[in-house]
Amino acid sequence: MANEQIFVGLEIGTTKISVIVAEARADDQISILGVGETPSRGVRKGEIVDMETVTECVREAILDAEDKTNVEIGNVWVAITGAHLASFNNRGSLALPGERQIETEDLEAVEVNAKEVAIPTPNTFLHTILQAYHVDGNQNVIDPLKSEGALLEADFHIVHGIKTRIHNTLRCIESLKIGIEDVVLSSLASAQVVLSQDQKNYGALMIDIGGGTTDYLVYIDGAIRHSGVLALGGDHITNDISVGLRLPIARAELLKIEEGSASDPAVSQGGIISLKNDPRFLGCDVDRISLETIIHLRVKEIFELIRRDIESSGEGMMDLIRGVMITGGCSKLKGIAQVAEEVFDIPVELTRARNVSGATQIFEDPQYSTAIGLTKYARLVTKNIAPESMIDRLAHGLGNLFKKRSR
Amino acid sequence: MSTSPSRRILVGVGNAGVTVLDLLSVECPGMTGLLAVNNDRDSLNASIVREKIEVPEGDPGEGFRVIDEEFGRTVEGASAVILCGGLGGETGSFLLTALAIRAKSAGLTTMACVGMPFSFEGKHKRDLAERSLEKLQEICDAVLVIGNDQLSGGSPSIAAVGEAFVLSDRTLLAALLALTGMLSTSGPVKITRADIHNVLGKPGVLTHFGFGKAEGSNRLHESLERALKSPLLTMPGKGSTLKESSMILLLLRGAKDISFAEVQAVVGKIEQIAGDNCQIKVGVHADGPLGSPLELYLLASSGGTVRKPAKPSESNETGETNSSNSSISRIGTTGTIGTKSPQSTGGYEMPPEHSEGEKGTGELFPNQTKPASKFGKKAATASKQMQGTLALDTYQRGRFDKSEPTIVEGEDLDVPTFLRKGIKLNTPTRK
Repeated sequence: MANEQIFVGLEIGTTKISVIVAEARADDQISILGVGETPSRGVRKGEIVDMETVTECVREAILDAEDKTNVEIGNVWVAITGAHLASFNNRGSLALPGERQIETEDLEAVEVNAKEVAIPTPNTFLHTILQAYHVDGNQNVIDPLKSEGALLEADFHIVHGIKTRIHNTLRCIESLKIGIEDVVLSSLASAQVVLSQDQKNYGALMIDIGGGTTDYLVYIDGAIRHSGVLALGGDHITNDISVGLRLPIARAELLKIEEGSASDPAVSQGGIISLKNDPRFLGCDVDRISLETIIHLRVKEIFELIRRDIESSGEGMMDLIRGVMITGGCSKLKGIAQVAEEVFDIPVELTRARNVSGATQIFEDPQYSTAIGLTKYARLVTKNIAPESMIDRLAHGLGNLFKKRSR
Repeated sequence: MSTSPSRRILVGVGNAGVTVLDLLSVECPGMTGLLAVNNDRDSLNASIVREKIEVPEGDPGEGFRVIDEEFGRTVEGASAVILCGGLGGETGSFLLTALAIRAKSAGLTTMACVGMPFSFEGKHKRDLAERSLEKLQEICDAVLVIGNDQLSGGSPSIAAVGEAFVLSDRTLLAALLALTGMLSTSGPVKITRADIHNVLGKPGVLTHFGFGKAEGSNRLHESLERALKSPLLTMPGKGSTLKESSMILLLLRGAKDISFAEVQAVVGKIEQIAGDNCQIKVGVHADGPLGSPLELYLLASSGGTVRKPAKPSESNETGETNSSNSSISRIGTTGTIGTKSPQSTGGYEMPPEHSEGEKGTGELFPNQTKPASKFGKKAATASKQMQGTLALDTYQRGRFDKSEPTIVEGEDLDVPTFLRKGIKLNTPTRK
């Protein structure tokens, strides 16, 4: 197997750092060879706050992955998240004098045109993702190349974020003498393995609830219409429990995993959860309804914030979404799908990486969706064969931030 | 400061007021125009403020005479009087109102900067304080109120009682600095007396005040963050109170090199929190030596009732408003506005040279007739309750205490949802 067919995805999460080593198979599937993992320290709300500690954790995770897969890791694809990331949709247009054939350079020029908008000075573009082409008012042209026209227009979904914060992630990996292929918005990576092409065409909202952040992405007609990052996640639920029930953070985390439920406390079975004494903790009795109230309110609020954000980003967008897919470590929380259904009022499904093969226990766990998604994304971007869908093609247009930076 | 300091007199009233003036003399050694008024001889003797008036205790008639004569003589020729003290005590409550009446009758702009007692000081004190506050708000052009109870919302209840009072004095000092700083802003971006009156001049109004100080390369963000975290700018469970305000006064004070971009960044951030309907007035005091720390003061209010029509003595303020509206749009559009008359706290101002930045003038103009804010009475009553019943430990961010806050739609989402929604829980029973 040629070396370029091996892809490594690295996600520096708030709870854990995961490295997925995958191999692209001839039938276009991704086969996972192994995963390296360490608990994450020095990351808060998806962003690096302690460079040295994080670098050490990443090193451990990479070594772990090399150990398990027997692959020497040279280059990685990195996921990026954080509340500093923002997005918007913009249309670029290009007049073609004398109604000539559209060339590849024209497609590039129209993308540059779409990016000619003011973003805050500390920010830099992360992705410019194609939504659709229009030629002379002919909407949604699949491939305008070689067709004739006087006016080429293109809609893009543009993601930008604070330059220094993105660079921090890159610097941390560079200091380990590991090359970076590209940085990818976390939700974009997850969506590659969590959503099927049908779902993307049909209209879907993907929500990836992690430890420090909740990343979400809206696909309509096969193209990304909206994306967002909320600096809220499982850590907040744990903190709420810790504050509300006066428990140490570690005990609150355990309680959340073992007994936590996001379902409406009105239908709770009620009763008391008895927490046992242990050497560092004096046992106590916890009211189950209180626990469920705390979790329910927080989870519901997260979904409501996402809903409001989508509604305010485009009129009628919410009506075009036919289903919600929830993934990420926090999606393992009991009752979370019902809460989402209540808020979004459309079918909700808990999901994880699909269309991949390899060690089953890895891709069946929703907390690896982003890291696995990175390898799939890498496969789509580097693939040389003719693009089979819009998504594959748009991938070529993605901003390769790292290369630009090192030039 | 560009104005002659003698034109503005800071009066520390009662023990609290005198303490604050002492702190001020230590903080800004060269400051003049300070006056300590008290009926406690020991406190006055201990004070380092040079000018003092002792009001005899126990004889109201004699007290009034002293105030009328001695105080009247001292403030003669001044342009503004700022009273500072703690309400609730017999001394502070009585003297503050008496002095305010005297200053006002001399036709001076009179402002007050007062602290409300902690709830643990008892109901009697609280009632007395509230009555005096009502009176003060009637008399003065602007009253800045520091609710001591709210202060403790920021620091945990384990704080020693002594520390609580020190914090209260410190905050009162900062408020006094903010008020004097705003009064004496000059140059292209300034805050006028009318603006201050607009924000703090309505009876029953609830003051929101925040300040932050920082130095170094990230001074702006650090000071803004500190100011925004100020307990007087947050409502338990509701996030920033700035979004309830129709006008926000922002004072930046520091080294000469405060840049245009910095001012713009801070205003942008505040706008984000406060919403589009809010008007932000900016004053910049950039006369400190290079490298001096940046101080940032935020002043806003919510609630309150409409004030009765303007008194004749306030007419020059309205004129001032007209000519020196330093609304944010001006910063954005003009960089070349002419130098102002040096007497910025005086009466006359040069007429505006630009008209494109005057967007806000219409609503700003006769501010006394401005309709009550959209929150009206409801907010006023709600906020009153809030001051009294705030439990000391309701405001908690837990493990996120030291991390960058997640603020969406103006709410601090690091605070547990159930706390923000005010939902009661059964606390666990220890075995």
